[in-house]
Amino acid sequence: MPGADKETDLTERIEAFLADLKRGGSGTGPLRGSGEMARETTYLLRRITAQARWSSAGDLMEIIRNEGRRMTAAQPSETTVGNMVRRVLKIIREEYARSRGSSEETEQQESLHKLLTAGELSEETFREHFVHLKANVIEAINELLTELDGTTDNIAMQALEHIHSNEVIMTVGRSRTVEAFLKDAARKRKFHVIVAECAPFCQGHEMATGLSKVGIETTVIADAAIFAVMSRVNKVIIGTQTVLANGGLRAVNGTHSVALAARHHSTPLIICAPMFKLSPQVFTTCSLSLNDVNSCFPVLKILSKVNVHCPVFDYVPPELITLFISNIGGNAPSYIYRLMSELYHPEDHKL
Amino acid sequence: LDETQVRQDPEVPSAVAAIRTLLEFLKRDQSETILGLRENLTQTIRRLEEADSSVAVSSGGELFLRFISLTSLEHPDLSQCKKVMVERGELFLKKISLSRSKVAKLCHTFIKDGAKILTHSSSRVVLKVLESAAADKKRFTVYVTESQPDSAGQMADKLQNLNIPVTVVLDAAVGYIMEKVDLVIVGAEGVVESGGIINKIGTYQLAVCSKAHNKPFYVVAESFKFVRLYPLNQQDVPERFKYKADTLKAVEDLAEEHPMIDYTPPSLITLLFTDLGVLTPSAVSDELIKLYL
Repeated sequence: MPGADKETDLTERIEAFLADLKRGGSGTGPLRGSGEMARETTYLLRRITAQARWSSAGDLMEIIRNEGRRMTAAQPSETTVGNMVRRVLKIIREEYARSRGSSEETEQQESLHKLLTAGELSEETFREHFVHLKANVIEAINELLTELDGTTDNIAMQALEHIHSNEVIMTVGRSRTVEAFLKDAARKRKFHVIVAECAPFCQGHEMATGLSKVGIETTVIADAAIFAVMSRVNKVIIGTQTVLANGGLRAVNGTHSVALAARHHSTPLIICAPMFKLSPQVFTTCSLSLNDVNSCFPVLKILSKVNVHCPVFDYVPPELITLFISNIGGNAPSYIYRLMSELYHPEDHKL
Repeated sequence: LDETQVRQDPEVPSAVAAIRTLLEFLKRDQSETILGLRENLTQTIRRLEEADSSVAVSSGGELFLRFISLTSLEHPDLSQCKKVMVERGELFLKKISLSRSKVAKLCHTFIKDGAKILTHSSSRVVLKVLESAAADKKRFTVYVTESQPDSAGQMADKLQNLNIPVTVVLDAAVGYIMEKVDLVIVGAEGVVESGGIINKIGTYQLAVCSKAHNKPFYVVAESFKFVRLYPLNQQDVPERFKYKADTLKAVEDLAEEHPMIDYTPPSLITLLFTDLGVLTPSAVSDELIKLYL
């Protein structure tokens, strides 16, 4: 039966994706950038919308939420997966509201205004069936995919406003977004880049080779030299793994030290992060709970009586950050809560 | 009727009692026009404030007035308007009675096992948060400040009833104890437009100390406590909130009296937990704007 075939095909793809996610975390599978992760997740969600059996928006949201929970459980440190699921859930809510004819604005957030003027304790159940809902949702997901495709270019386009001639820029490790950003500015301006190598995997080396191929003067420094060199730096531009709801960051290990050094020298700290990295998580005081721990083989060869700890991520508080550059423009860290309320619905914060 | 309502239930926050009184008043009001209704309500609110001059009563009253004007815009006919108002008022009261549990649900995940918490004076919302954290099988210890001039020892007793280890510390010992604690949670009598809070005297000290030691300073408050004030410093807080109602009536020269509340600026606050969600201080003015849109 064609229906059953489609379903088994779908479940196969979901299982393959989950297995990929799990492998990606342990370092044995192909190391993917978060942009790719986001795109893959969205493709999969579009496929689920197209092929799974559902009759009302509520059913679809349940299905997507369940799959989303499984995906985030497979690889908790990869937050873009959860973010894309939440984006799609919000898309479904909007399309549903639009089909019903009510304006989307008023349905959204809790507010004092709503508390005062709402009619009954109405629970939005999403039970109604609309014929064109599927087509509308898929179209909206396609728009989301176009947006995802264009993020790096949109960010790189803003480079000329922020980088001026003869400046010294510092960056940490390797970020595809920052690389594109700097390369775009290099077309019209001459400046100098200092890359911190970011032990133990030394991804800074790849970044430096990539930048020098385009003709940018690059210097590689050891992580310990960051503070010493900071006094000569005009700007620090870095990427991040996740942007948290309070405007803080979860970035590669060592970023907090760079941020503190920059604060000490009053150097602006600019983060290039596309919108799909924005996650509704808020930092809780115990940083180990949201951290992966890396294998320490590259760090120490002798391991008899020594405990080696090699965390992957760092938390950077919002006070140390000057500006976020994303595909929708530049924003202050205190404005992140607003961007978040536009991207995700509060009920979806916990999948 | 007014005064009895206010003193009635110790569990109910004063703003809710005020709104309940106003609703009762609304039901019995005889005025023929909406303007007359508003005038009577304003008078009642003033009398309520004379009985209990806290910020919460004032914010609750203002919210109610706002609610009346919003409803009256939709239904120009008075009797129909009144019916809708009474309905919505009951609904509003029901919703905000749930708000404390909503706040507790949001906040207790921020309390980790083995945490040491410092809190100030007696706040029912903070108590609810600690209750839900304890119900979640988390082990933590609490330090409560003595909070003169009307010492809030009752908080310590209530916590002991919940089997939470609690220590009462002097107000002056806040700086001494700050290095031991992991986080600070306080309630608020009012949340102002800038994202700062108005709370029992001594909160500002606590906030400055926690900033100096880099400890997170969390505020838990229900949304009806949001008030349209924008104080820039301690002097900007209106006199009528600073002192108890009896003091305001009895004393001639207020400069000799001790204020009961102080203002904590938003730069010292890490996060606010409200029934509208977890907010950064910059998000508070957004919420207020949405109300008065």
